[in-house]
Amino acid sequence: MTPPAVRSAGLTKRFRSGQVAVDGIELEVPRGSVYGFLGPNGSGKTTTIRMLLGLVRPTAGRAWLLEEPMPEGGGSVLPRVGVLVEGPAFHPYLTGRANLARLDAADATADPRTTRRRSDAALERVGLAAAAAKPFRQYSLGMKQRLGLAAALLRPRDLLVLDEPTNGLDPQGTREVRHLIRELADAGTTVLVSSHLLAEIDQVCSHIGIMSQGKLLVQDERLALTERGEPTLVVRTAVDHVGTATEVLTALGLGAPVVDGPEVTASLGSVAPETATAALVGAGVPVVGLEARRPSLEQLFVTLTGEGFDVAR
Amino acid sequence: MSRAEGGSRLLRSELSLVFGRRRNITLLVGLATVPLLLGIVLFVTQDSALAGQGPGFVGRVTGNGLFLVVSSLVMCLPFLLPLTIGIASGDAIAGEAQAGTLRYLLAVPVSRTRVLVVKAVAALAFAGAAVAAIALMALLSGAVLFGLDDVTLLSGSTVPLGEGVLRIAGVAVYVGLSLTGLVAVGLFFSTLTEVPVGAMAATVVVAIVSAVLDTLPQLAAIHPGLLTHHWLDFAEFLRLEVDWGVLGEGLAVQGAWVAIFASLAWSRFTTADVTS
Amino acid sequence: MTETQPSSPATPPPSSPVAPASATALATPSARRRWAVPAVVATAVAGAFVAPPLLAAAGDASLPEVTPLELLAEVAEAEPMALTGTAVYTARLGLPEIPFAEIAGADPIALLAGSSTIRVWTDGEERSRAALLGPASEYSVVRDGPEAWTYSSEEDAVVHYALSAEDEARYEALADQLRAGPSPEVAGELPTPEEAARLVLDRAEEHSTVSLDAQTTVAGRDAYQLVVTPRSTETLVARVVVAVDAETSTPLRVQVWSTQDEATPALDVGFTDVTFAAPEDAVLEFTAPASATVEEVVVPLPEVTEMERTEGAAKGELPEGVTVAGEGWESVTTLTGLDVAALVAGDPAALASVPGSERTLGSESAQELIGEFLPEDGEGGHPGLSLDGAALYEQLTTEVPEGRLLSSSLLSLLVTEDGRVLVGAVPAETLRGMA
Ligand SMILES: Nc1ncnc2c1ncn2[C@@H]1O[C@H](COP(=O)(O)OP(=O)(O)OP(=O)(O)O)[C@@H](O)[C@H]1O
Ligand SMILES: [Mg+2]
Repeated sequence: MTPPAVRSAGLTKRFRSGQVAVDGIELEVPRGSVYGFLGPNGSGKTTTIRMLLGLVRPTAGRAWLLEEPMPEGGGSVLPRVGVLVEGPAFHPYLTGRANLARLDAADATADPRTTRRRSDAALERVGLAAAAAKPFRQYSLGMKQRLGLAAALLRPRDLLVLDEPTNGLDPQGTREVRHLIRELADAGTTVLVSSHLLAEIDQVCSHIGIMSQGKLLVQDERLALTERGEPTLVVRTAVDHVGTATEVLTALGLGAPVVDGPEVTASLGSVAPETATAALVGAGVPVVGLEARRPSLEQLFVTLTGEGFDVAR
Repeated sequence: MSRAEGGSRLLRSELSLVFGRRRNITLLVGLATVPLLLGIVLFVTQDSALAGQGPGFVGRVTGNGLFLVVSSLVMCLPFLLPLTIGIASGDAIAGEAQAGTLRYLLAVPVSRTRVLVVKAVAALAFAGAAVAAIALMALLSGAVLFGLDDVTLLSGSTVPLGEGVLRIAGVAVYVGLSLTGLVAVGLFFSTLTEVPVGAMAATVVVAIVSAVLDTLPQLAAIHPGLLTHHWLDFAEFLRLEVDWGVLGEGLAVQGAWVAIFASLAWSRFTTADVTS
Repeated sequence: MTETQPSSPATPPPSSPVAPASATALATPSARRRWAVPAVVATAVAGAFVAPPLLAAAGDASLPEVTPLELLAEVAEAEPMALTGTAVYTARLGLPEIPFAEIAGADPIALLAGSSTIRVWTDGEERSRAALLGPASEYSVVRDGPEAWTYSSEEDAVVHYALSAEDEARYEALADQLRAGPSPEVAGELPTPEEAARLVLDRAEEHSTVSLDAQTTVAGRDAYQLVVTPRSTETLVARVVVAVDAETSTPLRVQVWSTQDEATPALDVGFTDVTFAAPEDAVLEFTAPASATVEEVVVPLPEVTEMERTEGAAKGELPEGVTVAGEGWESVTTLTGLDVAALVAGDPAALASVPGSERTLGSESAQELIGEFLPEDGEGGHPGLSLDGAALYEQLTTEVPEGRLLSSSLLSLLVTEDGRVLVGAVPAETLRGMA
C-alpha cells in the first residue's frame, strides 16, 4: 500500500495566548482518498491545515505532505499541492485572471509560456470564465470562492487541501464543487477537505476525520464509521397500534423503543429486520412502513462533539 | 526554468503591482506636484518684495531653475518622503497579510526570504521613483519657469551647467540612497503586524523622532548614528570640493540601519506564524 | 469506535521519527538561531563604527624626545605648509542659551557654542580659504594677499575687503620686504588650529610655563603636545594645549582649558583630517557669483612702523581711551568713551565696536586668543550676523549693579553705567571689583 498523502505525528499548536488549538493529532490521509476533515467552529481544523502547509510553526510534532517533511520540504512539495485556506484572498484591484497570473509568477517551477492557457482552463473549470476580466473587488462571495478554487487548480496537483471550499456558494455551486472533487479524486488526486457542512462531506468523502477542541476524535473510512453505529428499526403504523407494536418489538428483544406519533423506533441489536416484520404482521399491527437504519453522519458528529451550539472555546 | 528567472518573474509581478496600484500612482503624482506648485509660487512672487527669500535653496530658484530640484527635495525630506517610504515599506508585508494573500503566496510556494527580498526591492524602487518624480518634475518646471543656468555653489564658486546638472543628479541620488535605512525600518515594522497603517505610521514616526532627537544638543553623542542625521549631507555635492568621505559616512550609516533592520525583518518574518 | 488512530496499515514515511515526543519543537532551536542573525549583525555594525576611533586613539606615537623649548622653536621656524583639511571647532564657554534654532544656515555666530566643522585650504603663503559648513549652507572666508572675501550661501552675499589704490601700490613694495603681507581684518573670521596656535605660542614664554604632555595622534598623524600654563592664578585660563605635528611642526589642535571645567576644554579646534598638499587653484580663487549682493570694504594699510610694532613686542602706546591693567593672562583692558547708553539699551550699532575691538588694540595674548575664537560680528551690515544684535546682547549679558555683565568660562566683559567696557580673561568678580 502506498504511503499516505498527508501524515502528522503528535502535531500540536499552542498559541502565544496559551491556548492549545491543536493537541497532538495523528492525521493520516491515504493516497487517492477524499478525506473529510470535520469539526465544530474553533476545533482547530484551519490551524492544522496551516501547520501542514508550513504557515504556522507547530509547537511540537511533525507533519509530512506527500512524504516530504514540512515546512522544510515545502519548496519541493507545495507546487504539487493546491490549497484553499480559510477563504479566498486576492488583490482586490486586480482582475481574476491577473490574480492567477500573479500567483503563477510567484511559482518558480511554473512555465510562464502556459500561464494564460492554464489560468483560463482553471477559470473555465470553476465556471468563472465570463468574469475573468472583472476586478476581484467586484466579485460576489461565491465568485471569490470559485476563484480560490481556480487558483488551487492552476496546475495539475497531487494533493488538494481545501478549507471550507463551499462556503458562500449557491446550491448549484456546492453541487459543482462536489462534482469537481469527485472528478479530481477519480483522476487520482488526493483531496483533504475541511468543512462543518455535513451533507457536503457525507456525499463525497471516502474517509472522515472528526476534530473537537483540538483533538482528532475519530478517523476512518466513511463506510466503516457508519457501520460502527447501532442499527435501528423504524416502524410506521396507525397511531392506535403503536402500543401493540412496542410490545411486539420489546418481546422480540429490541432495545429502548421510542414512540413518536405513528412511529416506533427501537435499536435492532442482533434481531434481523425481517423477523421483526413477520412478528409485527403476525400480531396484527398494520405496518405502513418499516426501515432498518444506520446512524447518520450528523448523529455521529453530534454524539462525538456534543449537542451545544456554542463554540467550545 | 531556473530559480533566478522565477525570482525575476515574481519581482516583475511585484513591481507591476506596486506601480499599478492607484494609491501609489496618486502618491507619485502628488509628490510631483510639489515642485510644480513651488515653482509656480516662486514664479508669481518673483517680482514682489518676497522674492529671493525662503529657507534652503528657495531663494536661488528664480535665478536658476536647477535649484528647484534641490529646494523641492529639501521641502519633501522632512515629512513627505518619509511618508512615502512609510506607505511603500510599511505596506509591503503587512498589506499582503491583511489581504490574506500572504498565505497563498507562501503556499505557492515562495520562500519567505524571497518574499522579503522582492518586497524590499519593490519598496526601494518605489522610494527611488518618488525621488525621481520630484527631481524630474522640478527639473522640468524649473527649466520652463526660470531657465537653467550655471550653478553657483555654496562656496560661492560657479560651475558650468553641465557639471551643475551632474552635481544636482548626485544630490538626487544621495537623497534616494539616504532613504534606504528608513525602507528597512518600515519593512521590519511591516513584518510585525497585519495592520499596514500601523506599520506605515510607525515608520513615519521613526523618521520624525529621529529628526527631533537630532536637534537636542544633549544627545550630540548619538547624532552621527541617527537615521536622519546625514540626510542634508547631499549639500556636499554643492560645495567646492565634494568630500566623498562625508557622503560615504552618510551612506555607511544608512548601510548600518539597513543591515540591522533587514536582518531583524528577516528573523521575524522567517519565524513568524502566518495566521492572517 | 476508536478514540484515536489505531496503528496504521500504511508504512510511515522513511524520514519520520516514530515517537512524537522526540519530534522537533520547531519554535525553539531554529527560531533562536535565526534571531541570532540580527544580534550578530548589530554587533558587527557597532564594531565597525566604534572600533576605528578606539584603535586610532590607542596609537602610541613613540616619537623622538624633544624639550618644550626645542619644540617651540621648531614651530616658530617651520615654514607654513600648504594644506587641505577639515577641522572641528567646539566651544563650551558656558554662555547663556542662544536661540540657535533661529540660525538656519552656516553662520559664524554658531561658533559661540557647540561644534562646527570648518574646512581649510591654504597654499602656505598668502592665499587661503576657510569654510564653515552648515546644514546645506556654507560661510566662506577667502584670502588672496591684500584682498579678502566672505561669502554666505544663506544670504547669497559677498563682502569684499580690499586696499585703496594707493595702498595697493605700497603693498606691492612691502610684499617684498615682508615674507607675507599682512592680511586684512575680516569681520566674521573663522578659527583654524594653525592661527589659534600661533597666537598662543608666539609669546608663550612671557607669562607662562611651557611643558610637554604625552604624545598623541591628531587626524591620524603623530603629534607632540605643548602645554602652555599661565603663571598667574588670577586668570580663567587654566592651560592651553597645542598638538604639533611631529613631521611638519604644524599645529594640528588647540585646546583651551578653563579653570571652571577640568573635564573638557572650553575651546577646542583641531583637524580631524589633514593632507599637506597644495590645494587646487580653483579653491583659492574667488569671484563673486552673479546673483550675489556685494559689499565693498576698503581696508587701510597700516604704516610700516605700526606693522613692525605688531609683529614684534606688544608694548607701545595704546590708542586713546584704552588702558590695560595687570599683565599677561590676568590683564584687563578698559575702554572708555563708548556710547554705553546705546549699548545698554541694546543698540546693535554701538555693540558692534565692542567684541571686535580687542584684536586691533594690541592687547595681551589671552584676549587676542579669545578674540580669535569668538566671532566678530556686527561691523555694519555684516552678512554673517543673522541674529538681531540687541536680542543677542540681551541674551548674552546679565544685569549687575555695576552695569551689564557677560560671563563665560574663559572671558568676562563688563559694560558699566558710566560708559566703560572692561574685558579680560579673569573672573567676573575681578572686573566688578575694578569697576
Ligand atoms: N492566531 C491565533 N492566536 C490565538 N488563537 C488562535 C489563533 N488562530 C486561531 N486561534 C484559536 O485556535 C482555535 C482553533 O481555530 P481554527 O481557526 O483552527 O478553528 P476551525 O476549526 O478552523 O474553526 P472554523 O470551523 O470556525 O473555521 C480557536 O479557538 C481559535 O480561537
Ligand atoms: Mg477554519
